[in-house]
Amino acid sequence: MSSSAEQPSRHSPSAEHRPVGPADVLAFADRARLRVLRLAAAKPLHVGPALSVIDLLATLRLTVLRDRPGRPDWPDRDRLLLSKGHGAYGLYAVLAESGVLTGDLDRLPGHPADGLPGVEAATGALGHGLSLGCGMALGTRLAGRPGRVVVVTGDGELDEGTNWEAAQFAAHHRLANLVAVVDRNGLQQEGWTEDVLRLEPLADKWRAFGWSVAEADGHDPAAVRSSVTALLDGPGPGVLLAHTVKGRGVSFMENDPGWHMGRLTAEQLSTATKELVARAAARPQVVGA
Amino acid sequence: MSARGAAGARPASMRAACAPVIAAAVRSHPDVITAGADGQALFGPVICADPRRYVEAGIAETNLVAMAAGLARTGWRPVVGAMAPFLIRRAYEQLRLDVSLPGLPIVLLGVGGGLSYGPLGPTHHAVDDIALMSALPRMDIYCPADATDAAHVLRACLPPGRPAYIRLTAREDPPVIDPGEPGDVRAVRTLRAGRDALVLATGRCVAEALAAAEHCAGAGLDVAVAAVTCLRPFPVEQVHKLARDYPLVVTAEEAAGPGGLGDRVATAVGGPPARVTRLCVDNRYPPVGTHEELLAFYGVDRSAITSALTRTLIRKGDHEDPV
Repeated sequence: MSSSAEQPSRHSPSAEHRPVGPADVLAFADRARLRVLRLAAAKPLHVGPALSVIDLLATLRLTVLRDRPGRPDWPDRDRLLLSKGHGAYGLYAVLAESGVLTGDLDRLPGHPADGLPGVEAATGALGHGLSLGCGMALGTRLAGRPGRVVVVTGDGELDEGTNWEAAQFAAHHRLANLVAVVDRNGLQQEGWTEDVLRLEPLADKWRAFGWSVAEADGHDPAAVRSSVTALLDGPGPGVLLAHTVKGRGVSFMENDPGWHMGRLTAEQLSTATKELVARAAARPQVVGA
Repeated sequence: MSARGAAGARPASMRAACAPVIAAAVRSHPDVITAGADGQALFGPVICADPRRYVEAGIAETNLVAMAAGLARTGWRPVVGAMAPFLIRRAYEQLRLDVSLPGLPIVLLGVGGGLSYGPLGPTHHAVDDIALMSALPRMDIYCPADATDAAHVLRACLPPGRPAYIRLTAREDPPVIDPGEPGDVRAVRTLRAGRDALVLATGRCVAEALAAAEHCAGAGLDVAVAAVTCLRPFPVEQVHKLARDYPLVVTAEEAAGPGGLGDRVATAVGGPPARVTRLCVDNRYPPVGTHEELLAFYGVDRSAITSALTRTLIRKGDHEDPV
């Protein structure tokens, strides 16, 4: 391998340059939520899937993934792939809140596109991300580099068969530097996953494919951080089934598949904003935020 | 450039010819890596020399292609091989979204393109591979004429610098390219001179065209034959200039029409459509047959090419009855 400009470096612990606690993450995530809601008042977008995954993305970016600020192409970075590409605005908002993405988010495509800072690959055709992640994890390991790969998938996305080809592959090749995080909000476009095409027993399926499995509340940054970190330290690929709520943070959106894609009225935006502000006010104050 | 140097050679396998070329590229370039789907004929020498440089994906082509894209995104330059029908049809979305749109440096080797799996049946035929790959942005497409040509193409494409598809056959092919003088794989290569008509052929149909020209010579027709291995980027100017010298151009390809040789030649030549006679595979369900029998069934073999030449040239009144 000769393409990487830098030699492998010993990594500091996760996000050493950004010590943040769970309350910081949640405050950060709610600021990202507000960005999504404002965008969703201007045009219809996949608002429900974005809100369900934002806490996960914020936790991963702020407390797990190793990067270099201002250098999204740093060759030894940990890679984050949003395989459920319809959560794009959740990712954009988190990247914008991090300062990685600048400019008008409303000009960005409805699914992550190649060439955007912080976007590792175009995703949204479901079932590609885990395979891409397998190649990245294997490529990194074969090159003797330290980077790790976290792939965030939807739960409905697991209907796609390629995920299970990738699951077999990752276990066979013992890709210890690969973790999948399933945004297990229970809903897909037309309804509950268990009604559309049954996924359960989902943990058993992953175990049968040779993966280590953890489960956690996907809106609990501490639980997500410790689970993902433990999985990344394990001997093979690991998956976190992150239990989330579609539309999380806005009462009239939560668990309503009607908000899979939608546009907010001015009144709805106002209500949603008030709810988020009230939630932030009720949260314990962040020291040093 | 002539076919004479290949005349005495025996039929040879493209896979056997390509395997050492791939191994040499892996040896010379530390960022070249190989990957396959439970078919190691192309990668045996790599596996023997350094098993870490071959990635087994199992019979899972969609994962194979996207995984290779992941390898490419971490700095590797993958050479991916699998059976053409499954590599192209099953993994088509991955080829488009994960490889061709971002323009990653991946060379794709499709084994058994066209009808070369013969009696294995339509599940294993890939007459649509050229058409499908033609619809992908940034994808170069090569259809080698024989084993020598396939190895020559591979040498030109390795290490991978951009997405490229190389169609390989499944069995041994008659030799048509002079190993000592293979020529430029991206150019039209005239293998037989002639003045009455020009046959432009690709892949296995080059051998069929040479046989047809030989047959026509016995009947007093002087037919030129040229091999077109690189279908994209297509040598438009060269085809245009070459075709200008002939009253009739016949194209022959073992592929469905769209995006194939006939389409590209017709566009390059311009002028009245009647000047280009296109022989390609149609949509009929195939019978059980050998590769050669299927070429005959679809009207792209030596006999069909001979008929296309004699039929048109006789009608034009350029010759006495040549048959």
